[in-house]
Amino acid sequence: MKQDYTLELVAENNFSILNRIVNVLNRRRIRIKKLMAHENENDFRKGGAVLLLHTTSDAMEKVKHQLEKLIEVEYAIYTLGSNHYLELSERIVDVD
Amino acid sequence: MDALLTKTEKKPAATKQKISGSEVLLRCLVAEKVQHIFGYPGGAIMPVYDALYGYADKLTHLLVRHEQGAIHAAQGYARVSGKTGVVFATSGPGATNLVTGLADALIDSTPVVCITGQVFAHLLGTDAFQEIDVINTTLPVTKWNVQVTEAKDIAPAIAKAFYIAASGRPGPVLVDITKNAQNELIEEFEYEACNTVRTYKPKPVLQLAQVEAAAELINKAKRPYILVGQGVLLAGASKELIAFTEKTGIPVASTLLGLGALPCEHPNYVGFLGMHGNYGPNINTNECDLLIAIGMRFDDRVTGNVSKYAKQAQVVHIDIDKAEINKIISPTVAVHADAKEALDALTKLCTKNAFPEWIESFKKLNAEEFEKVVAKEIRNTNSLKMAEVIYMLSQLTKGEAVVVTDVGQHQMVTSRYYQYKNPRTNITSGGAGTMGFALPAAMGAKVAAPHKQVVAVIGDGGYQMTVQELGTIMQYKIPVKILVLNNSFLGMVRQWQQLFHGKRYSFTEMQNPNFVKIAEAYNIPAAKVTEQKNLEAELKKMLASETSYFLEVVVEKEDNVFPMVPAGAGVAEVILEIPKH
Repeated sequence: MKQDYTLELVAENNFSILNRIVNVLNRRRIRIKKLMAHENENDFRKGGAVLLLHTTSDAMEKVKHQLEKLIEVEYAIYTLGSNHYLELSERIVDVD
Repeated sequence: MDALLTKTEKKPAATKQKISGSEVLLRCLVAEKVQHIFGYPGGAIMPVYDALYGYADKLTHLLVRHEQGAIHAAQGYARVSGKTGVVFATSGPGATNLVTGLADALIDSTPVVCITGQVFAHLLGTDAFQEIDVINTTLPVTKWNVQVTEAKDIAPAIAKAFYIAASGRPGPVLVDITKNAQNELIEEFEYEACNTVRTYKPKPVLQLAQVEAAAELINKAKRPYILVGQGVLLAGASKELIAFTEKTGIPVASTLLGLGALPCEHPNYVGFLGMHGNYGPNINTNECDLLIAIGMRFDDRVTGNVSKYAKQAQVVHIDIDKAEINKIISPTVAVHADAKEALDALTKLCTKNAFPEWIESFKKLNAEEFEKVVAKEIRNTNSLKMAEVIYMLSQLTKGEAVVVTDVGQHQMVTSRYYQYKNPRTNITSGGAGTMGFALPAAMGAKVAAPHKQVVAVIGDGGYQMTVQELGTIMQYKIPVKILVLNNSFLGMVRQWQQLFHGKRYSFTEMQNPNFVKIAEAYNIPAAKVTEQKNLEAELKKMLASETSYFLEVVVEKEDNVFPMVPAGAGVAEVILEIPKH
């Protein structure tokens, strides 16, 4: 059963990092409902992204490991539902 | 001019000498102990090639005839030697010609570093001549890639590239260097090799609890079964595998890329797995009570229909890549570890055992295959079959040659009939299935292992995809042996058309050129076999040749490869002949 998941990633803020992340999701045809990416407020060399995805729990778990396999991704964590996405994205907007 | 030289000579001794970004690159390669580069020059990488002119005593560059040839050669070089293969190519089409090889190296875990030239940084994004967004083009087919626009960033990028390519699960890395960075002068530097990247953990720490859980399952199992993949070879764990199987008595089967991890003559070796694998290994996948998968990724060519795959068995999956665990098969116990460390630890924890009846069951099934398939192929008297050519090659080389195969029927036949004795002697395109791989890969393999007999076994279709590399073989006198099995068909596709598409041979028959004349045009001695009686003498002549040698064997046109797990079927539904209905 497909549901909404909030995916949070922390990564090196290098060129193409967002493409790398989206590419992993696209390969599995995972629907991206919302996406917010940002530089780390204290260190521009680091960054992160928060995504609201619509997929199955099985695909979510597998894609997490494929994302963490990307050299520049530090970690990827996910939670069920969209509440966490709203919290995280509001926090990012506040910082900016 | 003289005045200028005098000025240069009078430079103050204290001033550090400046060198170009191109020379920085070459010094990095020397520091990484690179000996061979496969490449092709062009506009955007000319400063590097200019600097290379002065490095002939330190770096040997081989000019290929197409960039795809360069990367496949680097792959063959890496797979035989365990060292990282290095490629140079120019921007635009030079770089895009690498894409197939990058994809091949990524799925087959081959360490390769590709250096591509790029247009000047100020021209990026302007559709300049031979400008292509190489980073985004190669992003899905590289383990990592990076663009460098300043000379000072070249050395750190190269150091990181070599570290990432060779560590953990190896793979291809591409470094795209703009022309201004190649030309820019910077002060001389001390090269620092990279041994850590903050966000990258290549080698997991072995978790004893995981190994103990695996050992507990193994010690209780009645019909355990080991499946080995290339991870064992990449970890250099053949000795540990032998120790493990000999102590536990567990039978071993191999994936396509795992061939050679355990000598085919070992009493515990029961055969080759998968769509065209041996009968016993496929049938018994659904009879075992424990599968121990080591350094393999449950490719669909191994599992057949996953919903019918080893449902009765518990599974131990050992892999260095966490994303491979639970990707296709959910293991009962996962050991996220390097194969060498895991096998060493497991052997200590497992009890000594033997499974003679269980191993005998594989042998009985393989005897059935021998009777229905093998005997007819190697003792055939009517026409030349692919199997008898490879069977004879295996006997004549005592299973000790480096055999490089392309993709298709000949590849599956070689995997079944060549009796590999040693690790890193089976070089083929596995996951990507890249036709055209074998000729350049064999060339690279021979450069890496000049004292080994290297034989490229290729079909007539794949041979013509990269046949231009005969020019490279001629120019550098690379004594590789080329054995083309010619059935004038794209044989594997034809086989599928025969079995599953009502024999509608849609665009698979090929009108071929005179292959012998083509080889001779490149000054490569060549011969052709059309009759069985000449096969042995011609193979011997090829193997005895001290130079490169081309041998075409005209084989039966509509020969099929069996056993076969038909598309959509389970591994236990493997067939030995064309179904009667």
